Amino acid sequence: MNDTATTKPAPLARAAKGRKPQYFADPATDKLLSMVLALTQELSVARDRIDTLERLLDRAGVLAADKVEAYLPTPDEAAARADLRAAMLRRVFRAAEKEAQDLAGGGEPSATAPEALDVLS
Amino acid sequence: MEHRQRLHDALPRPNHDESARQDFVASLRQYSGRVLGAANYKLYKAKVEPAFDKARGRPPASVDEVRPLMTAEPYYQFWSATQRNSQEMMWDSVIDTVERHQSDLNDKAAKPGPLGTLDLDPSLKVPAYHTAYDIHLQPGGYHTEQADADVAAGAIYDLGVPIYALGMMGTDNNSTGDTLVNWYRNAYPQARPERVLDLGCAIGNSTAPWVKAYPETEAHGVDVAAPCLRYGHMRANALGLPVHLSQQNAEKLNYPDNHFDVVASALLFHETSRPAVKRIFEECFRVLKPGGVAIHFDGFFTGAQEPILEFLGLWEVYNNNEKFLAALRTLDVVKINDEIGFADVGFQTSPFVVDLPPLKLTATAGEKGYMASAFGDVPLLIAVKPAA
Repeated sequence: MNDTATTKPAPLARAAKGRKPQYFADPATDKLLSMVLALTQELSVARDRIDTLERLLDRAGVLAADKVEAYLPTPDEAAARADLRAAMLRRVFRAAEKEAQDLAGGGEPSATAPEALDVLS
Repeated sequence: MEHRQRLHDALPRPNHDESARQDFVASLRQYSGRVLGAANYKLYKAKVEPAFDKARGRPPASVDEVRPLMTAEPYYQFWSATQRNSQEMMWDSVIDTVERHQSDLNDKAAKPGPLGTLDLDPSLKVPAYHTAYDIHLQPGGYHTEQADADVAAGAIYDLGVPIYALGMMGTDNNSTGDTLVNWYRNAYPQARPERVLDLGCAIGNSTAPWVKAYPETEAHGVDVAAPCLRYGHMRANALGLPVHLSQQNAEKLNYPDNHFDVVASALLFHETSRPAVKRIFEECFRVLKPGGVAIHFDGFFTGAQEPILEFLGLWEVYNNNEKFLAALRTLDVVKINDEIGFADVGFQTSPFVVDLPPLKLTATAGEKGYMASAFGDVPLLIAVKPAA
């Protein structure tokens, strides 16, 4: 119908013009709060999506709403989920775990930034 | 999405996760504004004011004295930073939706709708008070063209306002307009205005309620921001409410003298400048018919309050790029209107009209602090042009 090629506009601006106040003595704290709020938002989005799925499955007669609450994992399923949780905890506590490993290894200091880059490259 | 806002045909539809993100920000703002925010006044009363009193033998007497004390308080810092983040996240969450629909919206807006008119002036200079920084942190402000014949700023505003206002802006972001109409209807029960002008109309959300209340009225809206007016024209057609939107600066209007029965403004003045305020009031006088009335809703100074409440009321000044609000509150707007020649100038208290049920976390009676007094009864600045 429309023979003119619609070019996708440039991405919309995401930052407001004007100085942003610094709220905490350490600017890293400002950034951490923004991260915590964004992560909470994403968790909220994921929970809403799970809730949508459960309701739609219930409505479609695929899965009754009380089945999720009544679910008991089999021993194999429980073990697999424990592995998933452990892997997530290791990712979240990555920095602390590195420090714990260094301490256990006789107080060797953490890898310096250049060394870490060597590993990555 | 809770869909308290009417999903009119011009409004870009958020997908599932965009809705969920926007809902989260709405919940965060209610929680931060109502639950966390209420503690600031208590913190001040319990700790900050007594400490100052002990040291100086009197409580803090001004915002200038309160501000350094409160901004040094870790609790206030945390609350304020959270509130600021909620504002940034609000825009970010609705920009996702508008960006996804932007091409379609702009194509659709390029075809004029049958209802009302749209009159743009590409030569109009957007005033520095809009270009110096982005008001209320909307990236690009009201005015920036982020594509050819762009409507993005208008769509972003339409989706963002209901989240900002804690659900108190009505089904069609119509609460400010409804509030002015309601006052007018009570003050002039017999009147059927021929023409009404809404200054700083943005997307025409405060203009449309005049047509809804008085279908025979010719409702005009002016704003400096073309993206908002383009979107506003499309929106007015989607709502079936004809409005005449024109790109003009309220400081220097193109309308003839003695032209309007009513000149209205909703939350315009705090987004202008000191010289602009006087010029806008002068233009109101010029374009009003003799006997016509000006009705203004904004954060004007209506009387001294405790310095802590003044400070919390100015949160948007320091943290949300509503910088002129503080200076606006130093102006005697009643005197300015008196000197221009208006009669019966003064503030009249009137209910803030909301056509939606309140949310769970709305202000409780007697609550003090940020946005606690924004709703309920509000003072409107009224000025009448004397009959010839």
